[in-house]
Amino acid sequence: MYYIALSVLFPILTGVYLLVRKEIKNRKSLLIQTGIFLVITTVLGVLALCLSGGGILTPFNLTDRLPILFKVDEISILFAVMTMVIFLCAGFFSFIYMEHEEKEKRYYGFYLIVFGILLALCFAGNLITFYLFFELLTLSSMPLVLHTGSREAIMAGLKYLFYSLSGAYMALFGVYFIERYGNTLTFSTGGVISSQAAADNTGILLWIAFLMLIGFGVKAGMFPMHAWLPAAHPVAPAPASAVLSAVIVKAGVLGMVRAVYYIFGVSFLRGTWVQTAWMVLTLITVFMGSMLAYREPVLKKRLAYSTVSQVSYILFGFSVMDAGSVTGGLLHVLCHGAIKAGLFLCAGALIYKTGKTRVEEFRGAGKEMPVLMWCYTILSLGLIGIPPTGGFISKWYLAEGALSSGLSGFSWIGPTVLLVSALLTAGYLLPLAINGFLPGADYDYGSLKKKEPPLLMVIPILVLTLLSVVMGLFPEPLIHYLSLIVEKIL
Amino acid sequence: MGANLFANYGEAVAMILFGIGFGNLLLQSNLIKKIIGLNIMDTAIYLFLAEKGYISGRVAPIIVDGVQSMEAYINPIPSGLVLTGIVVSVSVSALMLSITVRLYRRYQTLDLDEISTRLKREGL
Amino acid sequence: MDFVQNFPAVSILLCLFGGIISSGLRGKTARYVNRGLLLVVTFLSLCTLCYTLESGEAFVYVMGKFPAPWGNEIRAGMLEAFMAFFFCIIMLLSLEGGKKKLVEEVEEEKVFLYYVLIDLLLASLLALVYTNDLFTAYVFVEINTIAACGLIMIRQNGRTIEAAARYMIMSLLGSGLLLLGICMLYDLTGHLLMSNIKDQAAMLYASGQYRIPLLVTIALMSVGLAIKSALFPFHAWLPDAYGYSTVSSAAILSSLVSKGYIFLLIKIIYRVIGFEVFYDSRIIDVLFAFGLMGMIFGSVSAIRENDVRRMIAFSSVAQIGYIYMGIGMGTQAGMAASVFHILSHAATKSLLFIAAIGLTDVSGGSRKFIDLTGGAYRNKWAGVAFTVGSLSMVGVPLFSGFISKLLFAQAAVQNGTKMLPALIVLGISTVLNAIYFMKTVIRIYTPVEDSAYESVTFKNMKLYGLTLICFIVLNVFLGVSSQPIVDLIERGLTVFS
Repeated sequence: MYYIALSVLFPILTGVYLLVRKEIKNRKSLLIQTGIFLVITTVLGVLALCLSGGGILTPFNLTDRLPILFKVDEISILFAVMTMVIFLCAGFFSFIYMEHEEKEKRYYGFYLIVFGILLALCFAGNLITFYLFFELLTLSSMPLVLHTGSREAIMAGLKYLFYSLSGAYMALFGVYFIERYGNTLTFSTGGVISSQAAADNTGILLWIAFLMLIGFGVKAGMFPMHAWLPAAHPVAPAPASAVLSAVIVKAGVLGMVRAVYYIFGVSFLRGTWVQTAWMVLTLITVFMGSMLAYREPVLKKRLAYSTVSQVSYILFGFSVMDAGSVTGGLLHVLCHGAIKAGLFLCAGALIYKTGKTRVEEFRGAGKEMPVLMWCYTILSLGLIGIPPTGGFISKWYLAEGALSSGLSGFSWIGPTVLLVSALLTAGYLLPLAINGFLPGADYDYGSLKKKEPPLLMVIPILVLTLLSVVMGLFPEPLIHYLSLIVEKIL
Repeated sequence: MGANLFANYGEAVAMILFGIGFGNLLLQSNLIKKIIGLNIMDTAIYLFLAEKGYISGRVAPIIVDGVQSMEAYINPIPSGLVLTGIVVSVSVSALMLSITVRLYRRYQTLDLDEISTRLKREGL
Repeated sequence: MDFVQNFPAVSILLCLFGGIISSGLRGKTARYVNRGLLLVVTFLSLCTLCYTLESGEAFVYVMGKFPAPWGNEIRAGMLEAFMAFFFCIIMLLSLEGGKKKLVEEVEEEKVFLYYVLIDLLLASLLALVYTNDLFTAYVFVEINTIAACGLIMIRQNGRTIEAAARYMIMSLLGSGLLLLGICMLYDLTGHLLMSNIKDQAAMLYASGQYRIPLLVTIALMSVGLAIKSALFPFHAWLPDAYGYSTVSSAAILSSLVSKGYIFLLIKIIYRVIGFEVFYDSRIIDVLFAFGLMGMIFGSVSAIRENDVRRMIAFSSVAQIGYIYMGIGMGTQAGMAASVFHILSHAATKSLLFIAAIGLTDVSGGSRKFIDLTGGAYRNKWAGVAFTVGSLSMVGVPLFSGFISKLLFAQAAVQNGTKMLPALIVLGISTVLNAIYFMKTVIRIYTPVEDSAYESVTFKNMKLYGLTLICFIVLNVFLGVSSQPIVDLIERGLTVFS
């Protein structure tokens, strides 16, 4: 059980150590240290997942009724595994990518701290613990956004901060009220609201649920609080963008899952106006994100808009509250994590190699860097939802769940919007691949040089690509595992 | 109402004076006038206390020819309070005056608003 | 009577005598006397606290030979003892943190005066905390004002004298109202001791006599103390007074002096008027409304400020607003939250002032934000301390500010009509706080190439660094293990009435 505490504390402490220690002259030793820290954290995290088996760890109490509490359940495992895989990949990727950036030590320090806090979020066993690390996540990930220190980065960082703090405050409403109306703040399947309180205060509790959804939705980039995301994600260094876009937004998703399925309970929310409003918001976000991505010329920004849209796929799955759709949502958490991290790393590698940022400038990139571009293409296909990638399976479940949910109207509006958005996804992701491989007749093949990025960059991308394909080829064990979770929480 | 006011004209006057003093202290921009306002305000309160402490026809609680019944004396506490209050207000007035002197030496004016604008202009 | 029961009176007298003796001493000796006094009073308060905690109730100490309705009394419960203890610690830390600055900014032959004033200030604060007599409270309010005015003025420049004048004027308006209120209350009830007044006031209220004069009295005293503690809109003097006086003064003024008045108001509410009577008068709604306005307005002014000290000063306006909002909630929980916020704000605000001075010192003495860029790299401890203070002010968990925010919100949730405005304004003010504090934090952590200013290390500022560490520990302590303190406050408040 103490592995939980270790896996949270170790990266945070080592991160702080990196921050406060003197500048390291030898870059290699910094990288070796960081690498070792990352690996040890992952090992500790895996140990925590394997060995803690439902145990509860309460390090201290904020107040009598608000203990800081950690425990490992199925959702924790799901999110923690994703976090660890992506952090390892992006971490090793940044060893090359960050070579030319300044203040590397600070970057790795905060990278490790964010890692620890994300693990803590996965392991958080009650609302106040979750809120605590949710706030800390904002504060510790902000330096990653601010890293370049340019004016644009600072403005984006401030925007990120204010949106997140407003969101966190809305989520805090939950703590205030659940403490009063709930039996406990500890996450429990089926909800914690006592039936008496639920009957007496339905109106106010629904409002609280809605506010919490909006509040956590800020992190997940859900309309109407999404505007920070396309500003903040692209200004960070590429591996940090990967982490922000693939994992940190999922903290918002995790918060919503915890609020809906573990605090309020499905039976309380199903069929209420909150569910309807939530579905409407997610569908708006799906469509709007895709549209904005489609119109965006800068690659990293385009990917950030795509995150806005794709994360709301997940949220739509959860908002339908049907077995199939929730399975799809959980699966898409993993798929989107792997794919979006991979895409951002690809973008990082392209920028690292060419120094260009706009989509149309990468003509012929497929000829110069075939491996990288093939990875990009496969990942894109995954995000669009074309078999045999994981994205296909997850979207299939999402659509199927929506269709069989029996919600009048939404059972067909939902899948339609998802389908349209998938077409748009193809529209904004594939041009790069097409231009990359088929630069057209006027392309100057003479000046073409092979410039595949270094191995340490390509391997993480390959791993992520492979994962996304494996999830599509052999989904049965995963689906089986997810259906167990879904059975529990629905 | 009117009859009450007339019967307690001392208290009424005290309140009016308090209002005058308060207004002066708050609204005058001249420091000396402010201090005058302060003193009017304090004195009004002492008048109020003294007025409350006095019961007509009775004497000060000093034993001259043997202890008489309680009905013969006035309550001495308000007078004590007035004395304490006077001490306090004297020290406060002295402090205010010393601040005024300081400001006058520095800025050659007694107008607090003017001093403020000048300070802003100096950007100190 | 137990021996410990002498301690509150002794500590007040010790401070008064300390002040008198110091007036004949040289600066350095006066400082030693002052530190010794502070330590002794801290110890005595701690003893009193332990004693009252053990006995579980408050004790009354008769000053002089005359018993209850006529004599003067001191009353000490656990809340009073704890407040005295806490005030002493904050004062000690603020003085140590600003010692170097004091030497620079005050002429050497005047340093002893500073300690005379500090001793008197401490005496009056202790008296405000302990006394059970309204008129004594008034006299010490005035002593407090005079001492505070001296603390502002001791650093001589145009701004501070002007600020002192404005401070005096506002304070005198407040104490005039307070004095009038006390006189009217005496007139109505015939007593000056708090407990006797309360009985009479309750009787008057029950019989329905003198309803309007009682209401006027409550209004006069509340408004008087609100003016003195710089509740919005009576805060005009505050930014200059906190912004330009020497740093120890600013820290002490913002975290202790205004809190002394608020504590007196709480005492008046509980022990003089009676909570129910006070609650039934609508004054409480006025306090609530002005508290809310102060929260917003203070933060907005702070955002527009370009001077870090004045920004922190404006933030005080907002925080005072929080406290009045809690009082205005009209529930036990709201009051407990306010008392906790008095502690939390005292710990945080003095930390911020002391840390800010460390940052401005390594930025050429300039307080403009542009010059502070990268200051946290030049003075690491001040940077960390400022960040901790800011996070606490914003209300991030693990720091004291979060707990007070939580308590306020819990109090609000239990309150039907005031829930919505309180929660909404809390939310807005949290975000506004974040805007200006995080802006500053980002600014001081923005690296600058080849800065023109020297940087300092821990070795050249051991004492300052230690003070900052103490403050940080205090903040985290209040944030992490707040439960015993909250329990103590709640017990204290029940013993209070």
